[in-house]
Amino acid sequence: MSARASTPVAAALALALALAAAPAAAQPSIGSPRTVTAASGRCGVCHPAERVAFETSPHAREDVHCVSCHGGDDRAIDEATAHGHGFTGRMDRASIPRMCASCHSDEKRMRPYDLPVDQFSLYQTSRHGILLAGGDKQVAVCSDCHGAHDILPASDPVSRIAVSNIPRTCGRCHGDTTLVRQRHIQNAYAQYMTSVHAHQLFDLGNLRAPTCVSCHGVHGATPPEVDEISKVCGRCHTAERRYFLAGPHAQKMAAQDVPACIACHGNHAIEASRVDRLGSGCANCHEAGSRLGKMGPAMLADYQGAMTEIEKAEKQIARADEVPIQTEDYHARVEEARTYLREAMTAAHAVQPELVAGFTLRARSVGTEIQSELQHKFFNLKTSKLFLIVFWFYVLVTVGILLRTRNRPPRRE
Amino acid sequence: MSAGGPGRPREAEKSRVDSAIDWLEQRLNLTEIFSFLTHFGIVYTPVDTRLPLRAALRRIGASPLVSYARWPQVLGLLTALLFGLETVTGILLAFYYHPTADGAYDSTTAIVRDVPAGWFIHQMHHWGALLLVGVVVARVIRLFWDRLYHPPRELLWLSAVWLMWVALQLDFTGRLLPWDVHSYWSSMRGLELIGSQPVIGPLIGFVLGGRVITENVLVRSYALHIIVLPLFYLGGVWITFATMRRIGLSMQAEGGDESSRTTWHRHTLNLLILLVLLTAGLVTLATLLPFRFHGPADPYSTPANTRPPWYLLSPFPLVQLLRAPEWVAGLVLLLSGLVVPILPLWAARHPRRLSDQGLRRLGIVLLSLWAVFTVLGAFAGRR
Amino acid sequence: MPDTESGPQDGAPEGASASRRQFLTWLSRAFLGLWAVGGAAVVAAYLKPGEGGEGGGRLVHIGPLDQLRVGDALLVRHGVKPFFVIRTNESTVIALSAVCTHVRCIVNYDRERRAIVCPCHDGHFDLRGEVVSGPPPRPLPSYEVSVRAGDVYVRV
Repeated sequence: MSARASTPVAAALALALALAAAPAAAQPSIGSPRTVTAASGRCGVCHPAERVAFETSPHAREDVHCVSCHGGDDRAIDEATAHGHGFTGRMDRASIPRMCASCHSDEKRMRPYDLPVDQFSLYQTSRHGILLAGGDKQVAVCSDCHGAHDILPASDPVSRIAVSNIPRTCGRCHGDTTLVRQRHIQNAYAQYMTSVHAHQLFDLGNLRAPTCVSCHGVHGATPPEVDEISKVCGRCHTAERRYFLAGPHAQKMAAQDVPACIACHGNHAIEASRVDRLGSGCANCHEAGSRLGKMGPAMLADYQGAMTEIEKAEKQIARADEVPIQTEDYHARVEEARTYLREAMTAAHAVQPELVAGFTLRARSVGTEIQSELQHKFFNLKTSKLFLIVFWFYVLVTVGILLRTRNRPPRRE
Repeated sequence: MSAGGPGRPREAEKSRVDSAIDWLEQRLNLTEIFSFLTHFGIVYTPVDTRLPLRAALRRIGASPLVSYARWPQVLGLLTALLFGLETVTGILLAFYYHPTADGAYDSTTAIVRDVPAGWFIHQMHHWGALLLVGVVVARVIRLFWDRLYHPPRELLWLSAVWLMWVALQLDFTGRLLPWDVHSYWSSMRGLELIGSQPVIGPLIGFVLGGRVITENVLVRSYALHIIVLPLFYLGGVWITFATMRRIGLSMQAEGGDESSRTTWHRHTLNLLILLVLLTAGLVTLATLLPFRFHGPADPYSTPANTRPPWYLLSPFPLVQLLRAPEWVAGLVLLLSGLVVPILPLWAARHPRRLSDQGLRRLGIVLLSLWAVFTVLGAFAGRR
Repeated sequence: MPDTESGPQDGAPEGASASRRQFLTWLSRAFLGLWAVGGAAVVAAYLKPGEGGEGGGRLVHIGPLDQLRVGDALLVRHGVKPFFVIRTNESTVIALSAVCTHVRCIVNYDRERRAIVCPCHDGHFDLRGEVVSGPPPRPLPSYEVSVRAGDVYVRV
């Protein structure tokens, strides 16, 4: 049942409604659930919940009516007539995408709203769309993510497709433990919610943190292929990807069908990066004692050595602050050293120990420099105390002179 | 003995000084000015202001002088010398210090870190203060022990106790000024204790600007520390000298023997030696045990184990260990403040009720109690 | 040294002993005078007004405006809050924090692209401090710049 056929009907009915039921149509607000409105006609009299939901959506204000999707007659007073002409009712899931596309793939219709028109074609390339075309009706269709009646734009914070709500929307299926078990897929939702990306999004309010759609795509949602993974992660983690591509892992992993970033970091339950994983992670693929397997622990040792020097330097700076010695410069240099160390961890993605060593060496040398300079200053302070000995010598000579002057009988002028 | 040749220019110089003094004598009563200075030190003997200066000085020089640059009289000398040192270093510090919550810590660390010899001046002030408090307390104990509160020396005793209280208040107001973490919080604890005294607690809060340390309290502490309390201290010094001028030195009263007599020459040089040794001692302490900074004060973050300053530690265990309400600690503080000056005077009046021996024993007991409570206060509830 | 005098009056063995006494007297006076000189030197050095003045460090003096070319940036190592002073055009100087809002790396200034880039994870900021791309979650804070008498000051 296409909306095109019923549109003129709907329009005519709406006009008739407006003329005939002017006072009722004059109220644009939701009002009592059983009110008759322009958008829903009389459908809301029997279907108040759906009417209320529908009227929250922009569809209600943009010349879309219940009959646009469901057919029937929204001016009728009795059920038989209302559910009569071309009524589709609760439509078949498999036909929903095509029905939505009947407007949303029409460039001319969507242009005034500046909405894209590729959703349906993208959907047909997606995993969901391919499975649906193959007859699997359990997969997601438009209404599963956007809702059936209360379809809200992504900019609305209560919308199912608002950034912070996307994981929950996908999680309706991909976090449903029964469904996940039945269909032998991962519980991606539960995994994602433990990840650092979820932490950034939900706990720290960073709306630029990735959600399901950031990596999988929106309408064309597909898990990335093995060789695409670093491209996907690399959209944000550009520096890591650059180093990764420059190193031996990129080609070797692709050749052996090892999913690049995911092999070490996981795909959904991605943890915040931890330095000590350098020591343990390599053993997943490499023999622990082999030359390759020892690279990770070697890089880790470099890093930890440099970090120790920096921490020692910071302790010295704290001591110097007590005296107090001027430490602004030292604080700044410590920050620079820490920058080198963080960059070292990004560079570790190239799995070339010399590269990492370049950074850790710089950091370590800053640490040792600061320590030696401060030691020098402390030493100077200490030796200035030796000046006390000279001072006391001077004091004793003075006291001796004074005593001698005192004990001499006073000169009488 | 002046030789012939070199002597003549000296005589010519002398007459220039002489003529300068003569010129001033005709326009001012120099002896009066000198007498004013002696109100705060220099000599105990009365000065006849009707005589011209040189005659007055000659008369002073001719009178017998008892040496007090020897133990234990030197304590009195030291209270004056140390106060002078603190004044000089304090004035120098005031040239750079900013008495605001924002600027206090930064300006103090700037003095120590950036100003040449700033660390030296600051350390001298810090250690001089500690020594000053020690000396005034020691003087009170020594006056008590040697029974120098008996008539007619009551005012001497009271002014000594007054000097001790003012010195402690100078220490308390001064210790807040660096606005360092430890100074802020120890002053906070101290102010809580002082402010909890009945009757005068609210008065102190009124004068200091609150029951809690704020920027207002800092500014008022500064004003008290550099103007009001030094004037009170000088007042105490003045009373001391004024009463000694009338009643004479105790060593003379106790049949001062010839061995305590001395000449002006020897006395002046003893003073100089004392001054040199005092300065040397302070420099040593300042170099070996410098004051340490711990970061600017944060009123919203209390470090662990904050205690009041050492002289207020004794009421602390009452609150910490015995869980007494704060006003009890305040009451103890107030009572001790009243008992110390008044009890010996009362005992002197009623020797049968409380003999000097008895009072001495009582003094030992109270002092030991104070010491024990201070130690307890230092370690009570430490995590 | 102190035992040669028994009294100034005894029959003067002239020459050697007298001049030695004079020398020792002069030496003693010099020693004692050194105290006065030392004290005066210490007080004078202490009281001499310094150049910097602002012990608080709230208003940081950068330097003359002429020494900063248009398009150039200067990294001021101000303790744990280093910042860039960038001259965007003839009359405008801005100060942006040099601490990346991601994990606190020190960022670099890209002169050609007129942008700020973080070397750790490739975060990019524009000259308003806004995040252009990469992981940083928040824009770079900016500081108030004032130019007085040809000198640049930044309030941190």
